[in-house]
Amino acid sequence: MGLNNLIEFKGTKKGIIIQMDGDVSFAQIIEALNVKLETSRNFFKGAKVIGTEGRNLVVKEESILAEIFSKEFGMLVTSMKPYAPPKREEQKKTAPVVKAFDGLEEGLTKFVRGTLRSGRSVEFEGNVVVLGDINPGAEVIAHGNIAVFGSLRGVAHAGAGGNESAWVVAQRLQPTQLRIGSLITRSPDEDGGPTSPEIAYVKDKHIMIEPYL
Amino acid sequence: MGEVIVITSGKGGVGKTTTTANIGAGLAKLGNKVVVIDADIGLRNLDVVLGLENRIVYDIVDVVNETCRLKQALIKDKRFDGLYLLPAAQTKDKDAVSPEQMVKLTNDLKETHDYVIVDCPAGIERGFRNAIAGADRAVVVTTPEISAVRDADRIIGLLEAAELNDPRLIVNRIRLDMVKRGDMMNIEDMTDILAIDLMGVVPDDEHVVISTNRGEPAVNNETAISGQAFMDIAKRITGEEVPFMDLEQQDGFFDKIMKLFSFSK
Repeated sequence: MGLNNLIEFKGTKKGIIIQMDGDVSFAQIIEALNVKLETSRNFFKGAKVIGTEGRNLVVKEESILAEIFSKEFGMLVTSMKPYAPPKREEQKKTAPVVKAFDGLEEGLTKFVRGTLRSGRSVEFEGNVVVLGDINPGAEVIAHGNIAVFGSLRGVAHAGAGGNESAWVVAQRLQPTQLRIGSLITRSPDEDGGPTSPEIAYVKDKHIMIEPYL
Repeated sequence: MGEVIVITSGKGGVGKTTTTANIGAGLAKLGNKVVVIDADIGLRNLDVVLGLENRIVYDIVDVVNETCRLKQALIKDKRFDGLYLLPAAQTKDKDAVSPEQMVKLTNDLKETHDYVIVDCPAGIERGFRNAIAGADRAVVVTTPEISAVRDADRIIGLLEAAELNDPRLIVNRIRLDMVKRGDMMNIEDMTDILAIDLMGVVPDDEHVVISTNRGEPAVNNETAISGQAFMDIAKRITGEEVPFMDLEQQDGFFDKIMKLFSFSK
């Protein structure tokens, strides 16, 4: 018959895993265990039970079996839960190297349609094109270039990831503050404002502004 | 079915309450059934400006808490036939009402009135959210000052995000003499940044101070230029096309004399 196969003690480096048949009744498991007891009562004395396999046990069944293992077999029961091998140690992740965005000629670009009103903020790890104005109080933070088909009156930060080759262009360049990479500048205080499109870029560690087109 | 219009600005002190009172009174004068709601709970002013302060028994918080029926809280203005006020509470604050309650309230009032005008408090927090909750359209009030325009821009962004599209602009307290000197923003500068349609321009007028203190809306004063401007705005709300007042003609007496002697530019 194969009563022996209904319950097996599997030995591992860490201890004994109790393997059981999941299809038969619990009573049959107990019967099989008793048969095992007759032949190998002392064989497993002192061995550690580290878990079970192959059968879902309810708490009552767990404690019945645990009692038999410890009292009859003299085993040390540390767990009656389904055995789960410990996770392999996670490979240490090296800190990712932050590369400044380098798609200034050809790269990921976000298009924003409409005017950015005060309070809005657009952040993107690439170039940003705004088809509208950037009002004072609004900001665009791009890792790449910024192009504005309208008036730039808010804050624009190009090359936000550290690439100082990024540029900012606008039909009316009148930002409250302009940043490229880690450099910051603002509009000159004289009134009037620009009359033609302008581009801002970094040269010799300064932000230069000149007419464009 | 009436319309719910919220009068908002972001910035405080630009004239929302004055506008609400005058537009409400103006619309009533044109024969409409109007209710003006003060949504500035804790800092109520609409009742004072309308001169109805000492007739308040119940307020908006009583209504949403069902301490009284809506009709009991509405105060009928005896000077303007068809004008009612739903006052705010003074002893509570803006957490006493929720946006959902405001929606229900304005929906109820829409059934029985042609226009429901909501006076929005300053700011962008709970009070603002309450006031815009049930609105069909929005009117943004600003003065020709850079700080007011900044705040108006923010508010317009929030209105658009709340799907109250196409808000209209009222420029309040403009002083043409200062604009001519270049000391004050002109209308084009403002519409350039704000990019919404202009609904009205109200010149700075001493009469507003006088009328507020008396509790008499300026629209009732035939000689007040601000009253005329508010009346024009009320007409535009009903869909009537009213040309913008030529403020040049409102030169003071002294200016007229100067012009006579060609001393002014």
